Amino acid sequence: MVSDSITNASIHAAPNNNNNNARDVGKKKRARSAKLKQCKLDVRREQWLSQGAVKNKDFKAEQNGVVEERKDRNNHRPFGNLGMRPGGGENDGSIHHHHHHHDSDLDSNSPNSLTSSVLGSNYSETNFTGSSSSSSSSSSSGGCCSGNITEDDEGGGDDGCLDDWEAVADALAANEKSKNPCLESPPEHDPIAQSGSPQETTIGSDGPIFGVENSKPQCARTIPKASGNGLAWRPDDAFRPQSLPNLAKQVSLPNSNRKHYGCGGVPWAYSGVVSAPSSCPICYEDLDFTDTSFLPCLCGFRLCLFCHKRILEEDSRCPGCRKPYEHEPVEAEASVHGGSLTFRLPRSCSLITRS
Amino acid sequence: MAAVNQDNTLVVATTTAPSNSKQSQPRAKTVDSQSVLKRLQSELMALMMSGDSGISAFPEEDNIFCWKGTIIGSKDTVFEGTEYRLSLTFPNDYPFKPPKVKFETLCFHPNVDLVGNICLDILQDKWSSAYDVRTILLSIQSLLGEPNISSPLNNQAAQLWSNQDDYRKMVEKLYKSPKA
Repeated sequence: MVSDSITNASIHAAPNNNNNNARDVGKKKRARSAKLKQCKLDVRREQWLSQGAVKNKDFKAEQNGVVEERKDRNNHRPFGNLGMRPGGGENDGSIHHHHHHHDSDLDSNSPNSLTSSVLGSNYSETNFTGSSSSSSSSSSSGGCCSGNITEDDEGGGDDGCLDDWEAVADALAANEKSKNPCLESPPEHDPIAQSGSPQETTIGSDGPIFGVENSKPQCARTIPKASGNGLAWRPDDAFRPQSLPNLAKQVSLPNSNRKHYGCGGVPWAYSGVVSAPSSCPICYEDLDFTDTSFLPCLCGFRLCLFCHKRILEEDSRCPGCRKPYEHEPVEAEASVHGGSLTFRLPRSCSLITRS
Repeated sequence: MAAVNQDNTLVVATTTAPSNSKQSQPRAKTVDSQSVLKRLQSELMALMMSGDSGISAFPEEDNIFCWKGTIIGSKDTVFEGTEYRLSLTFPNDYPFKPPKVKFETLCFHPNVDLVGNICLDILQDKWSSAYDVRTILLSIQSLLGEPNISSPLNNQAAQLWSNQDDYRKMVEKLYKSPKA
């Protein structure tokens, strides 16, 4: 069933992406990489659908919420992009001006909205064809998605394979300039930002970016957000983009959920490195709603549906405890489903208070 | 989708990497190697950020599927103060299959043979896709101090293990001599 769904998905996704690209940029390369992503997403959707078929009622009610939420995001999204990308070098006087855009951009990049747009765009094609609001928002999200892919491609597309890991190494040292201006303000939402690990040295390196007025006291008066945040997450620069939204999400989860992950599974794996439950320990892709409510093994080791499927095809043993997967994933899904509903609530609440 | 995520992350190069292979390989394969690339790049980053003492690894110049690692013998073992180079070769279906790990420096150890092959369960049947380079290197580092004498690849080393002083001398002698 699933292998069928791959081909279906790619056929299904093709016209959609091509339309967007023809309209927006019209380059095949992007369509292809978008297709790959789409393909993977659709496989997940199939799995989710087949597993959640019983739960359809609850599910649909939730989707409505999700789509609504996403419409809001899409309204902000284009501004976020326009404000941010070119703004890297010219932040000098206009930091106030950019605040709103930064914030909305962070929000739309956070795992919450990622997932919601996954659900939204997939389901609006299948389940919601009748509803005009959802179809319109799906097209707009497609547009901005391909826009992002474009930027990524052009960012390093010419360098080729050779520089990949060198780029990683370079980025460790040199990403302040390119990343920080863009990401300066968002962490105000993050608890970490408030707990704050001050690093004096970072202020100095902020200087050229923000101009002369960026000495500490003036900062506090004129652009309090930017200065505070610059201090807050600087030490973790290299990991910040990925871990920050994840941490925020994690905090909004009930404690029991985190504890569960920590105790079960593999305590030695990635504990200090990746803030655990928000990315798949196998493929390092972010876990979405479907994945985080998916608990295939009693030991508590979580992974994304994609990797789980892959393992089922091979030795079918849990990577966390090496025991064979006993339960059908459907059962496991059903057993956690109630739990997943409970922690979805606080998450959407936190979204509302944020924006 | 992931691209939306990646424009905020460091691994900017991830999306560009598979573009070379795209023309020549079927789609499924491209998806695979793309996710392997992402995994290896993330591992590299995690390893560099982790700051574990005594282990390190980095890809070879032109191939992220081949890494060179180093392990420093732990304190209070007969391998203290010695440093060993290893090669790690990742298969295309990593992490679902283990990498091939070999000592490149001669290592006088009961579970390492003369050409550097390592007998370690987690690199064979006990492999789990949740392991990574870091845990592999840490495992090998601890294997150095705690060999499995019952199934040796190097019988001489296994017999000598009971006499730690002589063993230490042997390690030092072999470590200094074949430097070339």
